[in-house]
Amino acid sequence: MRRAIACLTIALFSAAMIFTPAVQAYSFVSTVPQSGGCPQPNSWNLSVSSPLDRQWSTSLPSLISPVILTVANAGTSAQLDEIEQAISDSFSVWAGVSGTTFNAITFPGLEAPLARVTNPNSCTNDAESNVDGSNTICFNQSSAAFTPGVLAFTRTFTANAPGASVGTSGPAIFAGQILDADTLFCNTGEVIFATPAALATSPGAYDLESLLTHELGHWMGLDHSAVIRAMMFPFAPPPGQFLGSRPTAQAPDGPLSDDDRTGIRVLYPDPNDTVNIGAIRGQILPANPFALAALPAPSMGSSVTGMIGAQVVAVDADTGAIIAGAFSSGSCNASSPPTQFDGSYDLERLPVGRNYNLYAEPLVGIALPADFVVPGDLCSQDVTPSCTAPAANTNFNVRTLPAAP
Amino acid sequence: MKCKIGLRRPLLIALCASLLACASVTPTTLAHMSVAKLTHVSRLILRARCLKNSTGWDAGEIWTFTAYEPTEVWKGSAPPRVSVRLLGGRIGNLTSNVSGVPRFRAGEDVVLFLTPTTLGDFSVVSWVQGTFRIHHDQRSGEDTVAQDSASFETFDPFTRKFAASGIHDLSLQELRSQVAAALRQESGAQK
Repeated sequence: MRRAIACLTIALFSAAMIFTPAVQAYSFVSTVPQSGGCPQPNSWNLSVSSPLDRQWSTSLPSLISPVILTVANAGTSAQLDEIEQAISDSFSVWAGVSGTTFNAITFPGLEAPLARVTNPNSCTNDAESNVDGSNTICFNQSSAAFTPGVLAFTRTFTANAPGASVGTSGPAIFAGQILDADTLFCNTGEVIFATPAALATSPGAYDLESLLTHELGHWMGLDHSAVIRAMMFPFAPPPGQFLGSRPTAQAPDGPLSDDDRTGIRVLYPDPNDTVNIGAIRGQILPANPFALAALPAPSMGSSVTGMIGAQVVAVDADTGAIIAGAFSSGSCNASSPPTQFDGSYDLERLPVGRNYNLYAEPLVGIALPADFVVPGDLCSQDVTPSCTAPAANTNFNVRTLPAAP
Repeated sequence: MKCKIGLRRPLLIALCASLLACASVTPTTLAHMSVAKLTHVSRLILRARCLKNSTGWDAGEIWTFTAYEPTEVWKGSAPPRVSVRLLGGRIGNLTSNVSGVPRFRAGEDVVLFLTPTTLGDFSVVSWVQGTFRIHHDQRSGEDTVAQDSASFETFDPFTRKFAASGIHDLSLQELRSQVAAALRQESGAQK
């Protein structure tokens, strides 16, 4: 193993796992169980008997100018079919990734047929705390969450404890289980969207399929990625353009990057996968440990001992392809929670038999800590033992020291 | 398993910078707003200190309510305590997650561009775009601001063009001046 150490105010060590298990940090939303313990990545509990239900509201904004541009005429059944095709294809992008239990060919039947509903407000039930447990895409539901400039968002409800449920979701089996996911698109006409067929003649419209695919990544439990060109990177293609390549029968996951694929593999690993089973774990540490001494203690009796919120990226040494990225954050020992903010990172589900270079960067410039939930969801003040996640540390520089043998 | 690891100078962002031209707005969301536009659409602009966060159900959603103590009011009229609601939070055995929503810590010093909600409190205009964190430089004594959406390239629906307009390392005084100038322009346009 070749090793170099990069540091100015930090030292970057690649090493074997320091604590078990290290926290999944980069592209997942996590939940600290209500009973305490280590944060758990959010994911669905899918089976053939309990597949992912999916529906979309056919209620479209009825403004003078159309908000969703289609080739088919507005108000026709052909228009609904065209929009539904974009939705269906966006689901298929994620279901086309190999090495996951979400793969539609290897594990068929885990997605229920895409259904239609007509109520514009199908993404929530407006009764107090009455979440319907149905997973819905809405193009014409207003929400107090929208402010000027907000285009669309996805909101998921997850269980903090086994047994929790919402609406028709059924009781959760584990903490972190996603129970309900809804996506709302801005319906004010401030921005317009276009199906893939209509995009070429709609240069001012956002590609509906790219936005849907990104939002459905949030449905699966993925958070934003700091890898440029990843579907989960928090920047969309400009109007008139789309991300990656369009999905095809041969490459249904064509719009995704390797980082996206790695993320979905970690959340839904295929137990029979023999290719994507590599892992690189380590810590990003300050060269001078006293550099972190002034940071507030995240929990009783602990201190911040590593760099928090640095991006660590694995690049295929032979092809230059970015395979996966993660954020340094912390580790958590199930027998002695809460999370210890020691700068641990964990890159999972890497293809084996490859050589990797690792890069580390503070989150400044192109992507910022505010774009990500890291590390805020690794702690909870509502459970015992409680902790408060430190802010991402962007105040360090890096330099290369001579490589060690 | 075979994983050979090399650790090199971490210049990933520079390595990828050439790709930035392809990137633009967050799909979860934002249309470009200049400080002048933010000022125009905001009903209340203030510098405030975050006091505390709480969560609650309302209209079928979990919200995080953050209480602020205004220390300067740049536009509008502010009560002694300002309550801001943002989607998501944790209550009992459920957590609501929304990526791209800013979160605040007690004691934080911020400038917020706010719009009233239909539910009687305020929301942050365009979420991360209307959020500016204040940093106090111990050496120079100067206060600077960084917009949460700094470096986002965002879309202006009027010009139908993208612009990288995120604000980084701007002095607080300069931001205050820009808001004041926008208010003067707004006032002049109304006369």
